[in-house]
Amino acid sequence: MSYRPILTARIGKVDPTSLDDYVAHGGFQALKRALALGPDAIIDIVTQANVLGRGGAAFPAGIKWKAVSTEPGPKYVVANADESEPGTFKDRIIMEGDPFSLVEGVIIASYAVGAHQAYIYIRGEYPLAITRVQNAVDACYQAGMLGERILDRRYPLDIEVRRGAGAYICGEETALFESIEGKRGFPRIKPPFPTQVGLFGRPTLINNVETLINALPLVQHGPDWFRTMGPLDSPGPKLYCLSGRIRRPGLVEAPMGTTLYDLIYNYGGGVTGSGELGGVLLGGAAGTFVTADDLDVFMDFGSLREIDAALGSGVVIVFDTSVDMKAVLRRIARFFAHESCGKCYPCQLGTQRQLEIIERLAADRLRPGDLQLLSEVGQTMTDASICGLGQTAHSAIRTALKRFDFDPSTGHFARFGPPSGVQEALA
Amino acid sequence: MSDWITITIDGRQIQAKDGELLTDAARRAGIDIPVFCSHPKLDPLGACRMCLVEQETPRGKLLITACTTPVREGAVFHVSSERAVDARQGTLELILINHPLDCPICDKGGECPLQDQTLKHGPGKSHFWEEKQHKAKNYPLSDLVLLDQERCIICWRCIRYLQEWEDKPQLGLFHRGGETVIDKFPGTELNAYTSGNVIDLCPVGALTNRLARFSYRPWELEKTPSICTHCGQGCNLRIDSRSHRVRRHVARENPAVNDEWLCDKGRFADGISFSADRLTVPLVRKDGRLQPATWEEALSRVVEGLKEVVDRSGPQAVGALASAKVSNEANYLLGKFMRGVLGSNNIDYREGSGLLADPRGLPALADVHSADLIVLIGCDPAEEMPVLANFIKRASIRRSVPLLIIHARRPELARYPGVFLNPAPGEEIPLFDALTRATLEARMEAGAEAIPDWLSAETPPAAFPAEAVQEAARLLLNAEKPFIAYGMDYAWGFGARGILAALVNWVAAAGHTERLGFLHIQANAQGAGDVGALPHQLPGRRPLNDEKARAELEALWQSTIPAQPGLGYSGMIDAAANGLLKAMYVMAADPVGEKPAHAEALKQLSFLVVQELFLTETAKLADVVLPAASYAETSGTFTNTERRVQRAPQAVRPLGKSAPDWLILMHLARRFAPDKQNAWNTTSPEAVFAEITRAVPQYRDMSWENLGEEGRQWPWDALSVSRELQAHNGGLLNEPDDEYPFRLVVGNQLWDGGTIFAATPQMAHLGIQAARLHPDDAASLGLAAGDAIEIRSQAGAIQTTLHLDPNIKPGTIFVPFSLRDAPVGTLFDSRGPRTVVAVSKVEAPVAAPA
Repeated sequence: MSYRPILTARIGKVDPTSLDDYVAHGGFQALKRALALGPDAIIDIVTQANVLGRGGAAFPAGIKWKAVSTEPGPKYVVANADESEPGTFKDRIIMEGDPFSLVEGVIIASYAVGAHQAYIYIRGEYPLAITRVQNAVDACYQAGMLGERILDRRYPLDIEVRRGAGAYICGEETALFESIEGKRGFPRIKPPFPTQVGLFGRPTLINNVETLINALPLVQHGPDWFRTMGPLDSPGPKLYCLSGRIRRPGLVEAPMGTTLYDLIYNYGGGVTGSGELGGVLLGGAAGTFVTADDLDVFMDFGSLREIDAALGSGVVIVFDTSVDMKAVLRRIARFFAHESCGKCYPCQLGTQRQLEIIERLAADRLRPGDLQLLSEVGQTMTDASICGLGQTAHSAIRTALKRFDFDPSTGHFARFGPPSGVQEALA
Repeated sequence: MSDWITITIDGRQIQAKDGELLTDAARRAGIDIPVFCSHPKLDPLGACRMCLVEQETPRGKLLITACTTPVREGAVFHVSSERAVDARQGTLELILINHPLDCPICDKGGECPLQDQTLKHGPGKSHFWEEKQHKAKNYPLSDLVLLDQERCIICWRCIRYLQEWEDKPQLGLFHRGGETVIDKFPGTELNAYTSGNVIDLCPVGALTNRLARFSYRPWELEKTPSICTHCGQGCNLRIDSRSHRVRRHVARENPAVNDEWLCDKGRFADGISFSADRLTVPLVRKDGRLQPATWEEALSRVVEGLKEVVDRSGPQAVGALASAKVSNEANYLLGKFMRGVLGSNNIDYREGSGLLADPRGLPALADVHSADLIVLIGCDPAEEMPVLANFIKRASIRRSVPLLIIHARRPELARYPGVFLNPAPGEEIPLFDALTRATLEARMEAGAEAIPDWLSAETPPAAFPAEAVQEAARLLLNAEKPFIAYGMDYAWGFGARGILAALVNWVAAAGHTERLGFLHIQANAQGAGDVGALPHQLPGRRPLNDEKARAELEALWQSTIPAQPGLGYSGMIDAAANGLLKAMYVMAADPVGEKPAHAEALKQLSFLVVQELFLTETAKLADVVLPAASYAETSGTFTNTERRVQRAPQAVRPLGKSAPDWLILMHLARRFAPDKQNAWNTTSPEAVFAEITRAVPQYRDMSWENLGEEGRQWPWDALSVSRELQAHNGGLLNEPDDEYPFRLVVGNQLWDGGTIFAATPQMAHLGIQAARLHPDDAASLGLAAGDAIEIRSQAGAIQTTLHLDPNIKPGTIFVPFSLRDAPVGTLFDSRGPRTVVAVSKVEAPVAAPA
């Protein structure tokens, strides 16, 4: 608990609408340092620091930056701020509380990879974030720090803010490209990967907001400093989103690899409701359920993968034992059936069939063979879908059935008490 | 990409091309990987997940879609592994969940990939019991294509076809997840000219042919590989028939001609083979009326009528109109009859001697796929040859090939990058001269020859921005492999000779004369000329005075060929009017329908025979009408605009007592000249073609058999055509004046008001049957869209409806050919279409079409 926030240090202290105040709070020092280092050195730092993508896929940022930097232009940088994963709100708080840091991160990334056009694609349901980020971009233009030059260096760069229109799929990077291009958001097949064929068919660096702002302290303090936090295979600071039946919900910045126990009981102040922990959903609707048995797990990409769980975007949703877990699963199944984009069959129909079976489960009307069928549908979706949406649409349900001791003879999860009357907690 | 590599599928090593898709490599090796969304002619999508296989990677065995995975040396795949089979079965089971399985009443049943894949790769039984989703059924996307959303498996083939080939994204996905459906965009309709290809592409029965549906079961169909006879491209198709009735046309692949696409006219307009309006018995004029007769009576009457004229006035008093709509065999035999039996060179067809087409047509249609510049001069492929137009669009979109378009209207293809020059009739020669001059100037900078004196030094008309002219000249001069096509607009009527000479000068100055070709609009305009339906040329496009040709043909025909050149198409009609021509034999031509005033000329004849499918305006004047068989009812060959001779075999028997053209002519000749029966003893159209290969040197190496299913081209260099820089005369033209303020522009539109659509009533209302003016011109005349108007020239007047179109050049009016009840020919004098007209409002409504 002696950790001092790095990524969120300015939030609450800086005036998010004022460029001057941002500068007064150390803003653009990182960019200054980056310009002094030059593109190759920046990419080396990001690579050596082993920054794993914070959007949830944990892809090493250095590899992406390097790949895009060696491609011929024109190329693009895109900040993925379409934060739509249920339970995730970290990027929102950054954009609302310290929007200039995102702009600075985008500028550093663009300079590093040699892009002269960048986009910040913000979830449509985040009006304040959109306003704040747009204001930050405008202020930078007015100050002559964007357009023909960045800071005082002659380097053409334009940043455009785009807003989503409410589709979960548009957080998927290639669907997001389609959306920026003015088309309906459908995921593309990969390969080719965005680093070669991305936005408008050009090489594109796309990173999550949190990944991009990690570049700020990183270029200032270097990779060795960065690697003092968290495990070596996924180092750095991490933003965790605590919500659900927890005493102090909210955004927590802690080193990567903080234990789940620390997050819930020290940062979060413990479980509310029945007071007894029933389960935790890590990573949002596309994530995995764990139980009180897993409280000692280190919350980093590698450690969670080892126990068949996933960090995802850092979501920690806490459920006490009084929660109607079947209603929770029904809500998750509904979410995927509603958000499946319809491009590929496994997801389009799999999410639909999964919902139907879960509805039977929630209504205590499971048919013989339903659980087997659910598992097969889930397997088909996981194996056969085009993109992450379908590939993870069964993940939470699968881990709930696996870890919460579902008893088909009673139709109940042994870990959760009888329905408490607040069944629709999440509905 | 063409290096061969080795990959492993299910433990078997196979050869593949580096970088090709796994589905393609497997298909070549005979390994079956099921697909739905994947299609060789469409970009990979990876949506249906039917082709999942396992690939060995450093991260272990991964499931990948074969249709999106390029193969590399040493790659190892497992198609038959348990996990791959399970994944495919799981996918197929999901696909079948909402599919209605109404196979017994589905048009696709029996030729349905979904049925076939289910049999081969399906799970056997379904785990699911929920109610199927209900979506729109029998939902018209257009008058031609119906959608059943329940049958649809969302493979995007239709969406991608329209996007990738026609560049008209008219279908899209709507809603999300399990509710996803294919639909039109709100307020729009599916009206792309090649929309019907989505029916062939659909892997289920979701998209069906609205005209053909429910009229067959696929396994009952007799399938005849044939070609489309609606235009000069000669797209390959298959005639599917049952109990001697054509049921549908489907596209047939021929990479050199049409890839595997058809336009909607070629696909849907098949009514002429079974129309109730067809002539089914011979008609003979008795007591002033045409009355049904036997073939015996009719043929006797023809022999009698022709003999009488020949005996009284000599063979030069007989003329024949051949046709670009019918086969080589029909045209050849009509020519042979005229020259070899009657002894007259009076034979021509509408697109024959009067059209300044290159006698070799176009170098090759497929050149468009490798061209680095596409030049379209006075032709409009989007309306005239939609499949070719799609190739042109693709060249522009996929290969960034610039389009250089010179046209009196702004055609659809002008929306692609390049240069568009818009000369009104009369402005072509100054434009081409300016282009020639700009080209020569550019070459002089590089040290080439001087500019000839006769080339006007005048600046081009103000209508053409100097930069656009410079850019156009530069494009052609710098192109290495330009595809250059000129069309009928600049090759016909008074003034065309000067225009063509000026055009040739430009192309010659740029050094590309061997790439300048002609785009024939009619299916057999090239072939009819090749086989000798021309007044000044023998079969093989050889001059009448070619002694070697004469000797060959005289031996073959056992007769003496007259030496005196015959009359051309309009010459014959003029000669009929002034009494020099006494008899005419008209085969598949309708001069009166094109220009009603021609009736007066034909009425002067003492004997008129018309061999036709329908009782046309010309046939109504005939003494004898011989009912002919249609394209589907007899075998024949057609030569497309790139000199490709293709077979159109008989698919169904002739309607009623109609008979094939070749057979009619054979009987006629044998009756007329019993002494020449040895030269008239072929008993099949195939045998007639064999005779053609002896009469036409360019066809010498061909036989019915070796034409095969993709046809054979005769070589471009088998005929040489002089294309040199030369002085030319500008064609004089009437200038617009107060009385006739508009220049007339004629041309083709795909949905015309002609016989083909009249015989396919479901299509008769398609398109805009109207003359078109620029909105500003209409406003200045006080005319509004939909007004009934009269268009008047010194030659005559027609009445039609007005359509406003900003693509029309101000000062001109566009009147399409085959406009229903308003034949534009009425406005022409003997000098053809280059004339001026007046436009006025008609207060009384135009008479409704009968």
